[in-house]
Amino acid sequence: MDSGAENSAAASAPTNPAIYFDGLSSRRRAVSLVFGNALEINQDGHAVVAWSYDDIRRADSPAGSLRLSCLAAPPLARLETRDAALVAELNSRCARLDQDAPGRRGVGAIVGWSLAAAVSIVAVVLFGVPLAADRLTPLVPQSFERRLGAVAEQQVRIVFGGKVCENPAGRAAFIKLVNAVREAGNFEASVESAVLSSPIPNAFALPGGKVYLFSGLLAKADNADEIAGILGHELGHVRNRDGTRTLIHNGGTSFLIGLLFGDITGSSALIFASRSLVTASYSREAEQAADSFAISVMHRLGRSPKPMGELMFRVTGKEASGLSILANHPLTEDRLARMSREDAPPSGPPLLTPQEWQSLKAICVQGN
Amino acid sequence: VNQMSFVPPPPPPVPVSFSGDRGEFRRLVEYGAGLELITVGFYRFWLATDIRRHLWSNTHIDGDAAEYTGRARELLIGFLFALAILVPIYLSYFLVGLEAERLKAFASFPLFAFFYLFGQFAIYRARRYRLTRTVWRGVRFWMSGSGWAYAARAALWGVLMIFTLGLILPWREAALERYKMRHSFYGDLQGSFEGRGWEFFKRGWWIWFTAIALPVIGAVASAPPRFFPLPLAKAATQIAPFLWFGMLVAAPFLYGAFKAVQWRWWISGIRFGDVRLESELRPQALIGLYWKVIGWFLLLVVLLAVYLFACAAAMVGISDFSHAAGKLQGSIPMLVLGGIGYLAFILLLNVVFRIYLLRDLWARVMGSTILHHIEAAANVTARGELANALGEGFADGLDVAGF
Repeated sequence: MDSGAENSAAASAPTNPAIYFDGLSSRRRAVSLVFGNALEINQDGHAVVAWSYDDIRRADSPAGSLRLSCLAAPPLARLETRDAALVAELNSRCARLDQDAPGRRGVGAIVGWSLAAAVSIVAVVLFGVPLAADRLTPLVPQSFERRLGAVAEQQVRIVFGGKVCENPAGRAAFIKLVNAVREAGNFEASVESAVLSSPIPNAFALPGGKVYLFSGLLAKADNADEIAGILGHELGHVRNRDGTRTLIHNGGTSFLIGLLFGDITGSSALIFASRSLVTASYSREAEQAADSFAISVMHRLGRSPKPMGELMFRVTGKEASGLSILANHPLTEDRLARMSREDAPPSGPPLLTPQEWQSLKAICVQGN
Repeated sequence: VNQMSFVPPPPPPVPVSFSGDRGEFRRLVEYGAGLELITVGFYRFWLATDIRRHLWSNTHIDGDAAEYTGRARELLIGFLFALAILVPIYLSYFLVGLEAERLKAFASFPLFAFFYLFGQFAIYRARRYRLTRTVWRGVRFWMSGSGWAYAARAALWGVLMIFTLGLILPWREAALERYKMRHSFYGDLQGSFEGRGWEFFKRGWWIWFTAIALPVIGAVASAPPRFFPLPLAKAATQIAPFLWFGMLVAAPFLYGAFKAVQWRWWISGIRFGDVRLESELRPQALIGLYWKVIGWFLLLVVLLAVYLFACAAAMVGISDFSHAAGKLQGSIPMLVLGGIGYLAFILLLNVVFRIYLLRDLWARVMGSTILHHIEAAANVTARGELANALGEGFADGLDVAGF
């Protein structure tokens, strides 16, 4: 039966319609096929070319037709037919028809390599980027860090209104407190600091060593030790150069995670979510390191770090209901517990007199 | 066979037709979306290639189907090369931008312009890649010209676009298309573009007027009441919400009409030697597609909301639902379930986009195209080199689209 079909196809070949393009011009040639040792392509009874069966490959074609190319022919030479008998005959004779077909065997390999790439990117994000940030930060010159700080400062002033509180008595008390913390932390004199008028209870350090305290935090504070602890924490960020480190870390993380899901429309929310998970855990470590610095500074001053924890607890309240792996700070109750463990009766003199403390609290009150 | 060589005196125009099976395309993009998820997005190069192969090889011109010979591996390599070039540029962009912002706010604006230029370069080179992978009758299309020369032209026209609120778009499109088509070839047949900006303007000015000019006039009229008599301003603020709602409903109609006018004008301007393309696409032909996408989008949003609601209800119980927000805040299982729902939503939305705005749009645009003097392309000599996929890589890395 098989051989019979072959014979009939071969016998009727000259009348079967096929179209041939030689790949050198767009001339459309109606050809007949003869199945000999090789596939002979004939036009008007004359042999045009012969293709060896093993060199014949399938090219993309619309449904219901077969389009062939040949490795030995010009790359764009094509033979096309819609004739079912010819299609069947060619399919049976050309053993390597689909050998180079894209996307068939490759899917498993694509998935495997993609997963390997994803694993490697995640590994670099989790281990490589923090390591690079730690190693690169000391190489960033201080002058560059100060420039970063200057840019950030402009933005901060726009966002928070940025009125610096200048009440002279309060300013004197603030400088005294900052200097005490600074000397206990072995800082040179280049630390700038100021109180900004804002109801938000917060404080922050900018790259290059500027420390800002919001008056909202002063309003919630009960004594000078609380504020000293906060200043120690912020100076800890300056000492560890956390601003620059976070910049390198976040930049690297965003870039690498952006490589994943690069093109799926609307995946940015997903990228944002996974990035905040990674950067938050990194920032938690930085906060813990800054807390350690603050604790050591307070010990050196002969004061307890516990009031600092109490102030933070007063500001944030209990945080346990939040999702701890999403938080960029350690939970306040955990920080308070840590500082309570470090509690010790004061062995040094008070950092400010009651008079000075009252002046500091009133630093944003306009007076002469 | 003998009739092939007999050429009738006035050759009738030949239609372009699209024969792709919709179900096959749907399965292709569904499968592709699933693989895109599993491969964290890297499958996009293979999916884009498969989509093009399907669209090209089912498009028949004068009885012969086209062929797309590009391969996903080329796109991947182009993307990696583009990345290697873009990363140092991004870094220096950051450093220069920092310095510039320190000197003066908004001083980094020229850098933004640089990236716009880069995006236009990417668009030109991406088109060149796609064109050199397009084969018909065993002869490939190809493209010469300079991507940077094109980008400079596009940027200058872009500046004019800003100053004229987009009114100059027809002339911009015409000028840029002239540059692109002048440097496009089919074998030794040189392309050209004969569409005139004025023609485009005549057909589309009302869209510009309704979509841009009216809202601008409306915003100006309702913003500073002191310039107008009080009753007029009051009336304006009262009808403003209705006007905005009207604009929202009108937007898909306007955009659909704009795209149809643009496609028709673009195709009707294309020439290759004596071969002349003409489009009979009607202005309302694409509006239905955009509404179908909106309908699917709303349906998927509702499904996502129902799914999230069901997840929340299953976790806290219906009776306690008023406190659900507090209980579920930061709950990890809820976060995971929400993430899965969101991903499924995105993938389904991508399938919808590709079916309606790629396949159906392609079928409608191609199905309404006819060619005059196709016999001029009967014996064209093959010429032209393959271009690399760097432009596609840049377009991917910079997130620019266009062709």
